[in-house]
Amino acid sequence: MKIAIVDYGVGNLHSISKGLERAGAEARISSSPDEIAEAECIIFPGVGAFGAAMDVLRPAAGAIRSAIEGGTPTLGICLGMQVLFEKSEESPGDGLSVFKGTVRRLNAPRVPHMGWNNVSHTDDDVFNGISGDAQFYFANSFVCDPTEKVTICETVYGERFPAAVRKGVMFGTQFHPEKSGEPGLRLLANFIRISEECR
Amino acid sequence: MMPLTKRIIPCLDVKDGVVVKGVRFKGLTDVGDPPTLAVKYQEQGADEIVFLDVKASLAGVETLRAAVQKTAEQLFVPLTVGGGVRTFEDVRKMLRVGADKVSMNTAAVSNPSLITECAEAFGSQCVVVAIDAKRDGDSWEVHTHSGTRPSRLDAIEWAKGVCEAGAGEILLTSMDCDGVRGGYDIELTRRVARSVSVPVIASGGCGSMEHIADVLSEGEADAALAASIFHYDEHTVLDVKKMLASKGIPVRWFG
Repeated sequence: MKIAIVDYGVGNLHSISKGLERAGAEARISSSPDEIAEAECIIFPGVGAFGAAMDVLRPAAGAIRSAIEGGTPTLGICLGMQVLFEKSEESPGDGLSVFKGTVRRLNAPRVPHMGWNNVSHTDDDVFNGISGDAQFYFANSFVCDPTEKVTICETVYGERFPAAVRKGVMFGTQFHPEKSGEPGLRLLANFIRISEECR
Repeated sequence: MMPLTKRIIPCLDVKDGVVVKGVRFKGLTDVGDPPTLAVKYQEQGADEIVFLDVKASLAGVETLRAAVQKTAEQLFVPLTVGGGVRTFEDVRKMLRVGADKVSMNTAAVSNPSLITECAEAFGSQCVVVAIDAKRDGDSWEVHTHSGTRPSRLDAIEWAKGVCEAGAGEILLTSMDCDGVRGGYDIELTRRVARSVSVPVIASGGCGSMEHIADVLSEGEADAALAASIFHYDEHTVLDVKKMLASKGIPVRWFG
């Protein structure tokens, strides 16, 4: 399976790449819009700012959106999840809009939401083998507000918000699976398995 | 649901590519290889790892990047790296080789716009400002250059300022307590934690597990950083977490 990790030109891509390797998958870090649109699986990593990331994606936004809507398995992590939504309070301009809803500033006494938090997840198969009390690592100042029923996992920090979303084989996690120890690596492996199965 | 857990962060002071631990920033002794120690702490349940380059020479930054890259290949918890970061490009390069956050002290004091520039490009969550504070009567003065130069900045005011500039976290070290192992500066930590709306990592002075409990509860810190109690195998991270859990402090349970 050809997996593309989208390179916005900033931040740590090393960890997600190694995390996928642990899950038995080999990924290519790419900033080429064509390569991303043609990949068999797309990962949007979780570092950077909304506007800067969309500046990189915009020239190929149409092709990438078509690929995702055409059924290419996709995982957006943290900021990578947020760019899959329509708009963000963080920066002007449109997101990829494959999930309906917007991204807004997290309402909590201390922001960023930084550290390991509990989540309540559904029995979605991306959480297979992950116990209900597993904790995941978050590092976010913004949260997604879906206007469709896509939330498969929630967390509470200041308020209740989506920790993971899914529509078909399109996934987003507000936490960083590649930084969440064993449960995170398990989630990545589950995502890869789901992606392989739908080929 | 349990509230956000308090983080336990082993700190590896690195000099010329090896881990050392200083006593009041002087008299360094060699204690090990950075990737090996980082992975050991990950297995013990560390919530995050910090590398601080205590020498921070230009050649040292290259060595540090190599150590970060090697560590990041095996580390699946966050890694913060500080020391010797002077420019936007230094931050970018450190993130590219596998750091999740970069901590800056001297560079932030001499050029506060660096904080904003990095926050806008990489996101606030990547930008940690390290504050080395030394008590002066009723207040604390910020020091730069590994604690050797007073800056005339008041630590509380500076903490507020760096948050406005876009810092996502404060790594607060009490220079008076650092290396002495008599406990963290609870008052300093609480004052800073109450003055800012970003997470505060308390550092400097940890000599026992109780000190960690104290700074997370009375000191109101979000995370506690410690070095020597872990390096010399006096306690594992798991020991600390068991003790904290017994006191009702929320921690990420390991295993």
